[in-house]
Amino acid sequence: MATNVILARMGEVTLKGLNRGRFETQLMGNLRYRLRVFGKLSIFQKQSRIWIEAKDEDNPYFADEDSAKELMIAVSQVFGIVSVSLARKFEGDINDIDSNAEAYVKHHLENNPKHRSFKVECKRGNKKFPLNSPMICEEVGGYILEHFPNLTVDVHEPDFILNVEVREFNYVYAGRIQGHRGLPVGTAHKGMLLLSGGIDSPVAGYMMASRGMPIDAVYFHSYPYTSEQAKQKVIDLAKIVSRFSGRMNLYIVDFTKIQLDMVKNSPHDMLTIVMRRVMLQIAEQLALKADCKCLITGESLGQVASQTLEAIAITNEVVDMPILRPLIGMDKEATIEVSRNIGAFETSILPFEDCCTIFVAKHPKTHPKHSDIEEAEKNLDIEAMVKQGVEEGLEVITI
Amino acid sequence: MIYFDNSATTKPCDEVIRVINEDLTGENWGNPGSLHKLGMNAAKAYEQALSDCASCLSCRDDELIFTSCGTESANTAIFGYLKANPRKGKTVITTRTEHKCTLETMEELVRLGYDVRYISVGKNGKPDLDELRSVLDDQVALMCFTHVNNESGSILPLEKIMDIRKDIAPDAAIYLDCVQSLGKLEINLKSMGVDMASFSGHKIHGIKGVGLLYIRHGVKVSPYILGGGQQNNMRSGTQSLPLAASMAVAMKEAQKARAGAYEEVSRINAYLREELTKRKATVNSPADALPFVLNVAFRNFQSETMLHCLEMYDIYISTVSACSSKSKKTSYVLEAMGIDRSISSNSVRLSFSRYNTMDEARSFVEKIDQIYDLYEVNVR
Repeated sequence: MATNVILARMGEVTLKGLNRGRFETQLMGNLRYRLRVFGKLSIFQKQSRIWIEAKDEDNPYFADEDSAKELMIAVSQVFGIVSVSLARKFEGDINDIDSNAEAYVKHHLENNPKHRSFKVECKRGNKKFPLNSPMICEEVGGYILEHFPNLTVDVHEPDFILNVEVREFNYVYAGRIQGHRGLPVGTAHKGMLLLSGGIDSPVAGYMMASRGMPIDAVYFHSYPYTSEQAKQKVIDLAKIVSRFSGRMNLYIVDFTKIQLDMVKNSPHDMLTIVMRRVMLQIAEQLALKADCKCLITGESLGQVASQTLEAIAITNEVVDMPILRPLIGMDKEATIEVSRNIGAFETSILPFEDCCTIFVAKHPKTHPKHSDIEEAEKNLDIEAMVKQGVEEGLEVITI
Repeated sequence: MIYFDNSATTKPCDEVIRVINEDLTGENWGNPGSLHKLGMNAAKAYEQALSDCASCLSCRDDELIFTSCGTESANTAIFGYLKANPRKGKTVITTRTEHKCTLETMEELVRLGYDVRYISVGKNGKPDLDELRSVLDDQVALMCFTHVNNESGSILPLEKIMDIRKDIAPDAAIYLDCVQSLGKLEINLKSMGVDMASFSGHKIHGIKGVGLLYIRHGVKVSPYILGGGQQNNMRSGTQSLPLAASMAVAMKEAQKARAGAYEEVSRINAYLREELTKRKATVNSPADALPFVLNVAFRNFQSETMLHCLEMYDIYISTVSACSSKSKKTSYVLEAMGIDRSISSNSVRLSFSRYNTMDEARSFVEKIDQIYDLYEVNVR
């Protein structure tokens, strides 16, 4: 009898040397955490591959390709996974392989009615199997041609590849969905993401998580200038990032009084820079408490006034932690593409006021000098502001 | 709590809650279509409710249909009229300041191959009558207007429009959205002479889920919902006595209170116009607008910020624009009225009902002062 199983392939992890074990253990742990909502599963590794099988026969996620889609997408979103396939697993000899391949192709053609050509690829781990790989390919290919007269073989550019694997069990499958690659989250130290309601910061968080970094996030809330809906939007974005980065704490800083203080007591053309300096300091304090070793922002060079090199230099100097800016050299279109790809774009463009916009001067300074910032912060008690942000009205949501 | 958002919805009044309760718990829960005594009781009460509604609107009982809401009434009227009268042509006239239930219906008509002609409105929110004269001809099947605009309170010059129709295209039908005028202006359908009109219960202290559609006797409209032939075949589906009765009671109560409410709300409106203008606000509603709606822009406060500031004081109003850094969306009504974007992006709508008081208006002004002290931001 055949059952459906999921086959996931690892990428960069397998290139690791002595560390490889640690990376693999982390990846398996992350998979188990991510897939905990899909019923009782057996998740194990064999010959550089990861196999996911249902422990209960009636697990609905394994019924067919459609039902497995959600589960396969979840697997593909675990960093370290390169691709995911749904395979048919069974025991037996070449006749069983033929009949299972036929059943598989029949189903495949129902879902992909335009497919006309195919080829068979075979891997034989079980060296006791009487036929070798080329012989299996020839046999199965012939059998399929015989039973599906509309199909032809094309070894160069087939519409689909039918994979046959002969191991302890036999497997057939065709097609794969791409994983998000990267390194398993947890193999790097944790970082603190400055998350706004925009397009960039969720992408920045996703990109750092793809290098193995667990993420906490901080959001600066300015009610009544920003609404509860704007806050909810940020929470929703944090949830989207956490699909990839795993469990996350979201720190919501009550920023209203601090911002009003700035508006009253510093020149408006320097407001954004002053605001970003205070935000970074608050974020750093929270990061220290949360055992994060860096800050992450969605800044991209030259995108807005506060993201010129001069402005970045001046905001940079108020914190000691490294600030990682994975989007710094990225084009907006490329960022939007990633945003769409991770399912954040539609949420990011919801039209709620976010705090950056109301407090932005018409003509902010794009090339601030040191003397400008000294002048701008002259009448502000920055230390008190940072303390206020970290201590008063802080809300923490675990996602 | 100060509730100045009565054009969005109103709190159901005690009389409405009482009649719904009676109809749900008493002996009137039968199907008005049943032949037995239980059904007959319900039917009798239902007919009475219908008759009460008709008498409030000065029309015949058989000219009214209960619907689920104003939107359903609008859709039924517009699609149903055009479907039933294909020979009258495929041209419709309307304005850009109609409610979405009309505008979206127009979009669908365009997709279906109709010619929709929009006439512009002036700064006072009223349609340009010269333009109406120039686009109106005997090809026009239907004209769709709003009696009182929901965002600006602007009142339609209906009599003049009726005269223009009489002169140029007496065969063109008129559909009138009366959702905001019901209970506030006198509505005498017989003398108004429109062909179809829509009404909603929850804007007059009734409940959500019930509306009315008026179709003048003799005007042909195809039904939208088919089935058992209830309501003279115009809207099938078992009639709901509690909803019908709630509509009738809400209308009767509104009619009883109308003169007094109009006077009190006019005072509130005049007071707020004067006091708010002194305080960095610009009034967008025209001077001759219905006093129940006051559209006003607060300088240095984006619409949504003002809404949230007031919400902190338990005061509820509406924004007429949803702003964002990415897509600056301001009210299409104010835009059509030619109001500058810098003003429309700061605009909010205050809307009143017979339950609002001068004390509330005074308290509102006090809170506006506090909000300006605490939250005004003018970044240059």
